[in-house]
Amino acid sequence: MPILALQDVSKDYLSDGQRVQALHGLSLNVERGEMVALVGRSGCGKSTLLNLAGAMDFPTTGSVLLDGVSTSSLKDEELTRLRREKVGFIFQSFQLLHTLTVFENVELPLLLAGKTNVREAACERLAWVELEGLGERYPHQLSGGQMQRAAIARALIHSPIIVLADEPTGNLDTTTGNVILELLLRLTHEKNIATVVATHSLEAAALADTVVRLRDGRIEEITRR
Amino acid sequence: MPRLLLFYQLMVRPLLREPIRAGLTVLAVALGVAVVLAIDLASVAATGSFHSSMEALAGDNDLEITASGGVPEGAVGTLAALPYAIRISPRIEDYALLADTKQSFPLVGLDLVSEGSAYEQDKAGSGGELSSAEAPKDSIEYLEDHESIWVGSSLGRKVGDRVRLLINDRVREYVVRGVYPDSNGNESAIVMDIAAAQQALTRYGRVDRILLKVPQEPNLDEWQRRISAALPAGVEVRPQGTGTNENRRMLAAFRWNLRLLSYISLVVGAFLIYNTISVSVVRRRPEIGIVRALGASRRVILGAFVGEAACFGVAGALIGLPLGRLMATGAVKLMASTVESLYVSSRPGAIELNGASVLLALAIGVGVAVASAYSPAREASLVSPVEAMARGRREYDVSIHKVRDLWLAIMLAIAAAAASRAPAVAGKPLFGYLATILLMVASALAIPAFVSVITAFTSKLLGKLFGVEAMLASRSLAASLQRTSVLVGALSTAIAMMTAVGIMVGSFRQSVVLWMSNELPADLYLRPAGSPAADRHPTVSLGLAEGLAKIPGVVAVERLRAYEIRFQEMPTTLASADLDVLDVVRWYQNSEFLSGRPERQILPELRHSNTVIVSEPFAYKHHLKAGDTITLSLGETQASLRIADVFYDYSSERGSILMDRQTMLRYLPDPAPSNLAIYVSPDARLETVRTEIEKAAAGHRVLLFSNRELRSEAIRIFDRTFAITYALEAVAVIVAVMGIAGALLALVIDRRRELSLLRFLGAATGQIRKLILLEAGLLGLLANLAGLALGFALSFILVYVINKQSFGWTIRFHWPVEILVAALTVVYAATVLAGLYPAQMAVRLNPLEAVHEE
Ligand SMILES: Nc1ncnc2c1ncn2[C@@H]1O[C@H](COP(=O)(O)OP(=O)(O)O)[C@@H](O)[C@H]1O
Ligand SMILES: [Mg+2]
Repeated sequence: MPILALQDVSKDYLSDGQRVQALHGLSLNVERGEMVALVGRSGCGKSTLLNLAGAMDFPTTGSVLLDGVSTSSLKDEELTRLRREKVGFIFQSFQLLHTLTVFENVELPLLLAGKTNVREAACERLAWVELEGLGERYPHQLSGGQMQRAAIARALIHSPIIVLADEPTGNLDTTTGNVILELLLRLTHEKNIATVVATHSLEAAALADTVVRLRDGRIEEITRR
Repeated sequence: MPRLLLFYQLMVRPLLREPIRAGLTVLAVALGVAVVLAIDLASVAATGSFHSSMEALAGDNDLEITASGGVPEGAVGTLAALPYAIRISPRIEDYALLADTKQSFPLVGLDLVSEGSAYEQDKAGSGGELSSAEAPKDSIEYLEDHESIWVGSSLGRKVGDRVRLLINDRVREYVVRGVYPDSNGNESAIVMDIAAAQQALTRYGRVDRILLKVPQEPNLDEWQRRISAALPAGVEVRPQGTGTNENRRMLAAFRWNLRLLSYISLVVGAFLIYNTISVSVVRRRPEIGIVRALGASRRVILGAFVGEAACFGVAGALIGLPLGRLMATGAVKLMASTVESLYVSSRPGAIELNGASVLLALAIGVGVAVASAYSPAREASLVSPVEAMARGRREYDVSIHKVRDLWLAIMLAIAAAAASRAPAVAGKPLFGYLATILLMVASALAIPAFVSVITAFTSKLLGKLFGVEAMLASRSLAASLQRTSVLVGALSTAIAMMTAVGIMVGSFRQSVVLWMSNELPADLYLRPAGSPAADRHPTVSLGLAEGLAKIPGVVAVERLRAYEIRFQEMPTTLASADLDVLDVVRWYQNSEFLSGRPERQILPELRHSNTVIVSEPFAYKHHLKAGDTITLSLGETQASLRIADVFYDYSSERGSILMDRQTMLRYLPDPAPSNLAIYVSPDARLETVRTEIEKAAAGHRVLLFSNRELRSEAIRIFDRTFAITYALEAVAVIVAVMGIAGALLALVIDRRRELSLLRFLGAATGQIRKLILLEAGLLGLLANLAGLALGFALSFILVYVINKQSFGWTIRFHWPVEILVAALTVVYAATVLAGLYPAQMAVRLNPLEAVHEE
């Protein structure tokens, strides 16, 4: 069973009374241990797809199944639980809280879920992303690449089954960006999770197991390696 | 034009996008302006009018002649015999109550026969009082009739109406012979012939005042000297209206302190304007950068933000005006009754909202707004275009010099301590006020350090106790230190003032309660019915005391007499007690004297001798102490009196002098007492005796109080007196809480990215709500801690410096724990409640929009 399954998904937005179709009847499966790269021009629907995949938003028609459960059928508390247990997010601008240390940032999803004694897990995740020893620093004391690593550690802290990354290299130079993507790919395989990365860098996308090319809300092409 | 457009786009539009926050800011200014205006209007109305009640019919005279206990009538003859063209108008001046409505009016007795004609002669000049009376011509024949009165038109009586008046302890019936138009409903008086007034008041052979109109040449001083020389020593000649000025001076401290208290809301409002403008500046940094890059000068930016504040000021003032007018109505009632019971007869005048008050409101509103916005506006103008645009939308942390400010705070606190030791300046505790201001500034400066220390040390603990939300709340408060400090500053100032005044009033109340438990030795007290204004001493009919003494069960009846006199140009109460009854009186344990000597030792010294005791405020104001000698003008003579000791007296701020009844009678022979203190035998049943006394006093309008009733009455008056201070504090706290609500709204908007992120990371909506409420709670807690500390310090200055130097009272320090706990709980709850709406807004944020918006 795929971790993420989009079945004939359409998404409409209403903006200024105008209906904007962001996704048109799109279907896609993502499996464990697979990294999927979403590529396409700005406005083609990558972010929209990720939002649907993370149950932060819902399809207008069709269904999104996360670990076999349709996100549209869940109530608010169930969605919160789903995010706490199964989904990790990574953002273009890192989105670390500058009032918290790296440790605290990484631990935050567990703390929000009401867990205690989380430092061990945080240390372990920081080791995964090669940030050992930097846990007591504040985000502004890190480089861009380090911040994104910390964000990856945070996305993995609760051992999610799927990680969704929206332009994770957008704020980084190409070299650093590639390192980050390689790290993500390695962790996807090592930890046997599913990863969906939206990116507009084709070079970066070339690393992924599967490249999904979007255009105007439709899948133009799927390339598997 | 382009500037206006810029102003609109940069300033007005963002405000319109947040109507609630803008509205709260305007409302905070409005409340601040309203309170100041209300106290201003009310104090003019409440204290300005005592002047008119007696001066209403005084006409345009140059000099007035007064003497303690009344001017001997013979003075009129003496003056008339002088070879000068002086107009002489003797007056009896007292108060009468309409028996039906209990309304009190000045009662003026004048020589209607001669004054009527005198007014006839110079109709043009005189202020148009009796000369314009619409008395029918034939009323002349009633002039000397003892049942005739003339009343102001505002009384609503017609010629021929019968009116029952309560004068002293008797009700008499009078017939209205004429109605004169009174310019203002508050200045109405009841006029009767001087002889009729003397009879009604049993004030034979004396008049209260003689008004004189003297020729232009030579000057007034010379006339004053000439006339003084012709009169006995105890009689004083002075410019007319001196008494009014003295009264006004006596009330100055009261008015000053209320006015200063009314500024607190404004100070709190200033903090909030500062915060609002700071938030605007921080938010619009990128825009500022853009318009600067496009060529706007620093001056334009400064002007735009100051202009924004000025808009808040104008809007606040415009709302504050009617609000202040409304509040003044309530304030004037409270103030007038305080003035009456503590100082002098008064009837509130009309509240006048005139051009000056409108200007005052605008000046206060705009002034406070602009002054408090200046620093953030300057900050904005110093933004360099490149830097502002480069930093993007991120919150700009205004640099705060925590440590430097803390040092400054410590220095200011030391300066405050020094200032609090300085003596009064011209009777005003100016250095005391300075000390409070210094302390408040010191506290504002110390708050950033305080907030960062507290949050740094508690965020982990809070996280353990209240979950990760508490840790986040604490961290975010610490991160936006400047904003947090301003909010904590505003709320803590309000709380500090509440605490300080609460402690002061509570201590004062406790002092009064303790004092009274030693002060009122008799079982029953009797006084004439009618308003108990501090300067009125209506008398009880002669013979009543002697009659009551015969009732079985009554051990003794002490006759107390009080006069309103002037000592060194200050209104004073001169009282006498029947020290002959001391033999039967039981004594209290505690001394009520500054020296600590027991009453049992001191009072016998007064007996039959020129020895007096004086009240603490009297001694304080005139710089006197035990052993000093004072000279009083009494009747026709000057009396030298030795001060045996100084007694605590919390019943009135005006000074009092107490002497033996026998001593007083030597100078002022009127035997009628003003009050009776009745001692009942321990073997008799108090209720039975009381019933008998009531029976015996049936023909008199008197009020009888048991010891307990008198005490609770005094406490009731006390509480009423301070009700207005509670109201002022409440407004300050409301302003502060509104500010917190507005600031939390801003906080939610500024932190929507973070709040959305938390949703992505698995926060439930309940957790977001909890986060905002915890921030409100934490703000409240910080403000309560800082406010309590500051309030405690301020209360010392209030109790030992400002109160002492303004009023002369020694107050024993007392913690009104229940009141403080209750008040702080209410404030705390209000702060948390202020977070409810912002929390709801935070919950409703769409996380997708915020987190991707970059
Ligand atoms: N909240 C929204 N309201 C209206 N239109 C939206 C909204 N979010 C996205 N869109 C539109 O949907 C389309 C897809 O957007 P998005 O998924 O953000 O593209 P991408 O991430 O690939 O750049 C775009 O045309 C965008 O304008
Ligand atoms: Mg996108």
